[in-house]
Amino acid sequence: MTDRYETLATRLDERFGEQVTLVPSTCGEITIEVARSDLIAVATGLRNDADFGFEMLMDVCGIDYLSYGKAEWATSSATGTGFSRGVEREPVILDEAEEFDPRRFAVVYHLLSLQHNMRLRMRVYTGTDNPPIVRSVVDIWNSANWFEREAFDLYGILFEGHPDLRRILTDYGFIGHPFRKDFPLTGNVEVSYDSDKGRVAYQPVSIEPRTLVPKVIREDNRYSQDLKDSGNG
Amino acid sequence: MGLTSAAEAGPPRASHSPEAAGDSLQKNGFVVTSVDAVMNWARTGSLWPMTFGLACCAVEMMQAGASRYDLDRFGIIFRPSPRQSDCMIVAGTLTNKMAPALRKVYDQMPEPRWVVSMGSCANGGGYYHYSYAVVRGCDRIVPVDVYVPGCPPTAEALIYGLMQLQNKIRRTSTISR
Repeated sequence: MTDRYETLATRLDERFGEQVTLVPSTCGEITIEVARSDLIAVATGLRNDADFGFEMLMDVCGIDYLSYGKAEWATSSATGTGFSRGVEREPVILDEAEEFDPRRFAVVYHLLSLQHNMRLRMRVYTGTDNPPIVRSVVDIWNSANWFEREAFDLYGILFEGHPDLRRILTDYGFIGHPFRKDFPLTGNVEVSYDSDKGRVAYQPVSIEPRTLVPKVIREDNRYSQDLKDSGNG
Repeated sequence: MGLTSAAEAGPPRASHSPEAAGDSLQKNGFVVTSVDAVMNWARTGSLWPMTFGLACCAVEMMQAGASRYDLDRFGIIFRPSPRQSDCMIVAGTLTNKMAPALRKVYDQMPEPRWVVSMGSCANGGGYYHYSYAVVRGCDRIVPVDVYVPGCPPTAEALIYGLMQLQNKIRRTSTISR
């Protein structure tokens, strides 16, 4: 971490104290975590204080941590002849669940300070609410408008105080939020022309999902543990 | 059927070429043909496609229209308005959001009209067959006359498809007997 970012970390700590948690970062920049209730106070401070001056909001993303860190398939039982597509998926939490894991959904704000030439990421977890909800930052950074619409469309995260929270990318009769990890790849509905109605109409999806893992996974001798143990690797 | 020289002896010569018609005109001063043949000749000779470029296939469609392949020499001139078109080339991935617009454009085209589905995505969803946002073939939205395979099809393939469409139009008889 360069001196500038060390200074920024110190200033963040001095200015916001308990409201801000520094997250270990490997890329020489700073990521902070902010509680949902402190979002507006911290965001206003970051934008208006002369020490920070984060006047540009570059991006707002949603994140679904449902299957974060879990591999879709494990290769420990692979043999020299490979194995078939027998993949057991983790049971997923359905949207009907009363409440979510408090660290399932997060919103990440990517900030840029032009006057100090610094970047900052700010992460806010949405808590257990279903649907997940955070305060909108459109009043602070106007560019958040479409970014928040995108996060709402793809993750179903609601932004309280947003002036026009509509879907932005998916089609007009779309059901669900496609970037959620429990969303089926083929979706829930499909379209075709209905000659009786004289318009393009929606039906429930008609195709079966397919398994998206490779059919055969061969063992690579270069990484074989046996060879490494015997000293030949 | 076809252009027939009235004064010539022997079996009538079936031809659609303007040269044959010109020859007959200069020698004899008139041409005898069927209305169907004239209509099909006119339709195949001025096939004006509605430009519906949706993805990378559209770039190949542009290549087919540009100087090297030059669709103009077939009388194929791209029109920016469905009202002036009699053919639609669906070039690229048709998404669910675009589907009502595609159908609307098709409905605005005057009869007779034809549809060329260009590329894997338009033919059956292609790479995006399992996607939640893509129509699995534009034939779910509009009736398709010619499917051009490829991802994307080359400009030659698109021209071949258009020539197949011309052949199909030549086979139709509007005034049936």
